[in-house]
Amino acid sequence: AMAAAAAAAKSTKERLLFVLDDLEVLSRELIEMLALSRSQKLPQPGEDNQVLELLVQRDREFQELMEVAQQQGKVHEEMELLEKEVEKRDSDIQGLQKQLKEAEHILATAVYQAKEKLKSIEKARKGSISSEEIIKYAHRISASNAVCAPLNWVPGDPRRPYPTDLEMRSGMLGHMANLPTNGVNGHLPGDALAAGRLPDVLTPHYPWQSTDVSAGMLPPHHGNDFGLEPPGHNKENEDDVEAMSTDSSSSSSDSD
Amino acid sequence: MAEALQKLEKGDGDCSLLPLVHDIIKCMDKESQDVHQELAKLKAKIQEAREQIANMPGIDSSPTAQEQQLATLREQVRTKNQLLQKYKSLCMFDVPKAS
Repeated sequence: AMAAAAAAAKSTKERLLFVLDDLEVLSRELIEMLALSRSQKLPQPGEDNQVLELLVQRDREFQELMEVAQQQGKVHEEMELLEKEVEKRDSDIQGLQKQLKEAEHILATAVYQAKEKLKSIEKARKGSISSEEIIKYAHRISASNAVCAPLNWVPGDPRRPYPTDLEMRSGMLGHMANLPTNGVNGHLPGDALAAGRLPDVLTPHYPWQSTDVSAGMLPPHHGNDFGLEPPGHNKENEDDVEAMSTDSSSSSSDSD
Repeated sequence: MAEALQKLEKGDGDCSLLPLVHDIIKCMDKESQDVHQELAKLKAKIQEAREQIANMPGIDSSPTAQEQQLATLREQVRTKNQLLQKYKSLCMFDVPKAS
């Protein structure tokens, strides 16, 4: 069993060469033996027979091994074909792997971009303002002619394309400067009313209307002017005139 | 001895050395001068066999080991084919053709 295991572990080439060496040695021995027995005319039966038997046995072994070697040659051819196929499959797999890597990269980029998009959607959702509110605000700022002048506006038209003094003062800048919001010059109350954005407390009552006029600070002829106003004059126009007259009175008092 | 010589004659395989040995013994029996020539033939035959063995493919391992290598290779081809087949059948997206 040990010998068989050793023979199985040895390569066929080694075994062939080993048997071939044996054959060479045995055939030489046999020939020398025969030559010797012939020259000496001494028959040595048995010994040469033994060598001959061994030679025949080794020769048979050699032929069997050569057959095995031929078979192994065929198997070797098959293995070469299989190796080529393995190489081809390997390159196919490598190509596929490369493609999968590319796909992974593309998908990772897409997922990253999608996540960024989701983040901005979430952000927009948190700070959402209803469209109704935006439209309302748009109406409000355009109704006061604060963003653009009316189409037929000409210098002197009381409707203005600019924020009023009062509006400026009630805004953030006005608050920062801590300016008073009443007793303003150049304000046109009709306009403010039209804009509809002044608090009720500010709209109807102006200090000069009640105090200044009643204190008799206006020159007496002004009062007469009012008296001369034609009947049916509407309230708004009256307000305008009043405001303008207040302007002139204040400027005159300034000059004093 | 005669029996044994008959055995020598029988060795008629392509790679058997017995016919040559037999020829040499016959020459020796006849005490012919051809014996040297026959001896040279045997020597040449042995040398030829050595070269043939050196050039034979696939005999660097034992048949058992070779069978194992063959089985391993077959298994490799089978596994790799299976893997490729699996991915080809799974391919639900357009793979850019390798140019």
